[in-house]
Amino acid sequence: MISKKFKLFGAAVAVSCMALTAGCSGDKANGSGGGDENVSVVLKTLSSPYWKYVEAGAKAAGKKHGVNVNVVGPNAESEVMQQVNMIEDQLSQSPGAIVVAPSQPETVAPSLENAVKSKVPVLLIDSNADFKGKTTFIGTENFTAGQEGGKLLASMLKKGDKVVLIQGALGNPATDERIKGAEEALKKAGMEVVSKQPADSDKTKAMSVMENILEKNEDVKGVFSANDDMALGALRAVKAKNLDVKIIGTDGTEEAVKSILDGGLAGTIAQSPYNMGYKGVENALKAIKGKKVKNRIDSGIDIITKDNAEEKLEFLKKISK
Amino acid sequence: MSEIVVQKENGTVKKNLTIKNILSKFAPLIGLVLLVVVLTVLSDRFLTVNNVMNIARQSSINSLLAIGMLLPILTAGIDLSVGSVLAISVMLMGVTTVNMGSNPFIGILVCLGVGSGFGWFNGILLTKLRLPHPFISTLGTMNIARGIALIITAAAPIAGFPYMIQFMGREFVGPIPVSFILVIAVYVIFHIFLTRTQTGRYIYAIGGNPEAARLSGINVDRVLIIVYTISGLMAGLAGLVMVGRVNSAFPLAGLSYELDAIAAVIIGGASFLGGVGTVWGTLIGALIIAVLRNGLNLLNVSADFQMTIIGAVIIAAVYVDVLRQRKNKKK
Repeated sequence: MISKKFKLFGAAVAVSCMALTAGCSGDKANGSGGGDENVSVVLKTLSSPYWKYVEAGAKAAGKKHGVNVNVVGPNAESEVMQQVNMIEDQLSQSPGAIVVAPSQPETVAPSLENAVKSKVPVLLIDSNADFKGKTTFIGTENFTAGQEGGKLLASMLKKGDKVVLIQGALGNPATDERIKGAEEALKKAGMEVVSKQPADSDKTKAMSVMENILEKNEDVKGVFSANDDMALGALRAVKAKNLDVKIIGTDGTEEAVKSILDGGLAGTIAQSPYNMGYKGVENALKAIKGKKVKNRIDSGIDIITKDNAEEKLEFLKKISK
Repeated sequence: MSEIVVQKENGTVKKNLTIKNILSKFAPLIGLVLLVVVLTVLSDRFLTVNNVMNIARQSSINSLLAIGMLLPILTAGIDLSVGSVLAISVMLMGVTTVNMGSNPFIGILVCLGVGSGFGWFNGILLTKLRLPHPFISTLGTMNIARGIALIITAAAPIAGFPYMIQFMGREFVGPIPVSFILVIAVYVIFHIFLTRTQTGRYIYAIGGNPEAARLSGINVDRVLIIVYTISGLMAGLAGLVMVGRVNSAFPLAGLSYELDAIAAVIIGGASFLGGVGTVWGTLIGALIIAVLRNGLNLLNVSADFQMTIIGAVIIAAVYVDVLRQRKNKKK
């Protein structure tokens, strides 16, 4: 009986070992660029297309500059403590620099402060965190993204047309800034903003928010949404009523780009997750070599409409491979 | 069977400690040692002082939740609410100390008090409202607590806690994290509580056979309320440590932590049928999970792979438990 039990434990340990070796050998094959420097990249998660683009960008930069790039992330953005643990575990391997996209910016501050103290450059991408000594923050200029969205929408409408703004969760700095930018651009172009409501970056919520708005204002001509999912939700509400409303989203997800090609959304202001990853690693390398890095780097935006949607879709498919 | 167990826990049947029994008792420990050996071979970063202290720190939150979870499991129950109770405890501590600027000691009392309060509520649901199984009552509490945690600040995190509150999760004594010293202290107290006090023995007895326990005059309801209150208290304490580690409270804190806590208890050799399980087994269970996660991170194994491996370890550990039970029955 006992010996049987031991065989079992042996088997369990053996299985773990096999998984361990399989796991790490597999990762080394695609993670390394073959250089001497190591850059650790800890993302919010690796399990959504957006973060796959970031990963692809980081690895491409590693390959180009001959740096070993190690990209990790928890199973979900909600695994906040797991992300903190991953940062600690990466730091205990003394990387040349660490690039982090924090899920909850406050939570990573203590461990990243320690990294700075032990002279490891810390670069933030996508979401900024407030602590002393970070090298830079690389992300979208959300206000500019919103402005471009507003201008694009205005260019599709006539002066005096009624427009709607759909916000993310109130207090989310990224989506709030986008809405501010769009509102400014739309008002400047002489549009009338009849409604501005939050839908918490959620597709279903955006659909009901839009339904309610249309109850009161059937003559709405345009919508700017702080992300693509909400834009797609609003689109459903509009389609159900068979109205012709121009809808602009933000993010540039594959679903949104496909919708543009199918004549659904009018356009989207694409963020550049690929650039965030790429520039993150590139500037990490600069910091390792002691070169100066700007403390705020714009990762850039792309304006996607029917004209260039096909191209964008191909790019997204290529980098997510 | 429950009698055998009760006796074993009391330490009265020392002569039964044959080599076979020792081996069976120390199976989780042997698993942990093997794991450490394997990881040391695979990664030269694993067995460094810095990394071992990382593991000690990373395991502390789950260790505290797991020791709380051990009590309901010993009574053949479960507490699914600990992750959410952790969240509501730290959010209310944040509101009192950061938003209202109260004394940090009051904040700590609020944190532990809210945790215990929700635990007590679980006990009442089970014993007074007679909900059929703690799976249901604590599932309800899990959602209630998480919901309130989200409502309090409209899902916004709270950051910037006073040093007193951060102390336990953040500071070190020499190279040793205070949180790990706390874990050891708590485990010693639990060991004494479960083996040397009457209530502790009742907990094992109820798990072994609740009817027999009732008939022998044990106030089962009272013991169960104590069990769930302590589980809630530990959730609050784990929250306190977590806030210290990350200097912030957020409503999604502790999401699905109940599962890691249950896994630690089960890997540590406790039985879902109640009456079987030890404090030190639970600690080893929590350490196995932390060592696995840390080691896999050092080896750059993806998070998805890690889930798969931990799942396999749980199944293997429980199968060993099943074999042990079969053996006991044959006797």
